[in-house]
Amino acid sequence: MSADGKVHVYVGTRKGGYVVESDRRRRKWSVVGPFHDGMDVFHMAPDPRRPGDAYALVNGVFFGPTVYRSTNHGHTWSEVATPLIPPKSKRPPLDGAPDPARFPIANLWHLEPGPASEPNTLFLGVDPASLYRSDDRAKSWTPMDGLNQHESREKWNPGAGGMCLHTILLDPTNPRKMYVGISAAGTFKSEDGGEHWKPANRGVRVSFLPDPTPEFGQCVHHVVMDPKNSSTFYRQDHDGVYVSHDEMESWRHVGGSLKSDFGFVAAAPTAMPGSAFFVPLMGMARTTWEGGLQVYRWDDKPKKWSRTVNPKKFPGQFGTHREGMAADALDPAGIYLGTTTGQLFVSPDAGKSWLLVPHQFPAIHSVSVESPPSRA
Amino acid sequence: MAEVRFDAMLRQFAVPSRASVGASDVRALLDELEAKFPRLKFRIRDETGSVRRFVRVFVNGEAIDRLHGLETPLGADDRVDILHSIQGG
Repeated sequence: MSADGKVHVYVGTRKGGYVVESDRRRRKWSVVGPFHDGMDVFHMAPDPRRPGDAYALVNGVFFGPTVYRSTNHGHTWSEVATPLIPPKSKRPPLDGAPDPARFPIANLWHLEPGPASEPNTLFLGVDPASLYRSDDRAKSWTPMDGLNQHESREKWNPGAGGMCLHTILLDPTNPRKMYVGISAAGTFKSEDGGEHWKPANRGVRVSFLPDPTPEFGQCVHHVVMDPKNSSTFYRQDHDGVYVSHDEMESWRHVGGSLKSDFGFVAAAPTAMPGSAFFVPLMGMARTTWEGGLQVYRWDDKPKKWSRTVNPKKFPGQFGTHREGMAADALDPAGIYLGTTTGQLFVSPDAGKSWLLVPHQFPAIHSVSVESPPSRA
Repeated sequence: MAEVRFDAMLRQFAVPSRASVGASDVRALLDELEAKFPRLKFRIRDETGSVRRFVRVFVNGEAIDRLHGLETPLGADDRVDILHSIQGG
């Protein structure tokens, strides 16, 4: 939650990071930045346990990846520790498991603040697909080898963005339940705080492997948890939109009625349990169809799709990266969509209307939101 | 002691424009530089010890990948340039 009463939207781009700010009406926006000028900022993560704190994952093309922290809503940043694959002498014996350290860390993908009960804990997903944990707010990192040396790892494959661990979800009702998404290995689930993991992709079909329903190997693009029901997940895969109602034990394809249900983003606003937003794209072009912006809403009850914006409102062909959409915690919900051509669209009223923030950003990799406290 | 010259982008890691370092080869020189200027660690070389893809190290004007890589021997009068590649857009 934001300490200063504002909505802060953290925008990671191809050429630096920005913070876009508004009051809770979310109609007028001001832009702060860029920070880390010229660098790929894959993700910026506000920490709801410490209002004003945020982390930025900066992937420098010349000198490697770096983690930064801000304690003032992203207005200034300081370097903190970056996880590095430990030297061989410090790695546990492999016992036949594949060695995860064949490559240096190429990119930092997603930082997830830990549960409220562990205020100094952070989780970090990187490429090559690995999960790290910090218990001292990014002063140091420990690899989570239960996943990093998973028995299936030898058969994981990279997607076009590399073999990245890009989604980390924590069950707010049980901090030992965790979920991750890896392209292209699919989703994995742990029920013991990350010690052991199992693939969690049953029912998710793939079009790019000989077996259309493998145990793992799905090209998952993004997954979000329902805000009120931690058993329910909404999933955007390379091969469509899926919903799980049983903690990822099984998935049901729900995107079949759309013209295309390829896409990258998903968002599930706090004030809208049972609903999620997606941006379907044409598979080959990777852009919206019908000549304009499209954002679709899925409602679990009744099970139906609805279009939230007429494509004529914002004409053009828009693409998105997997973390390009987020929702705030206000009611009505704010929904934020960044595009690969640098537009930031905002709906301040749960998708009823959309506006374009009047600033041309570089290609947007990610959008995340720090919300002000709800009014009593 | 070999003379080392850093390009402007590397100076963000708190190194001077030039330094003198005693080392028998390029690997030892980089070890010495990382010890002397800790913020250089993992910037020229990644955590596997390889020189990063878009960083180039030259000895007397020749790229080390055309010499003997990190094992390229160094003498007292050698000059080492550490530069970044042309990349971007």
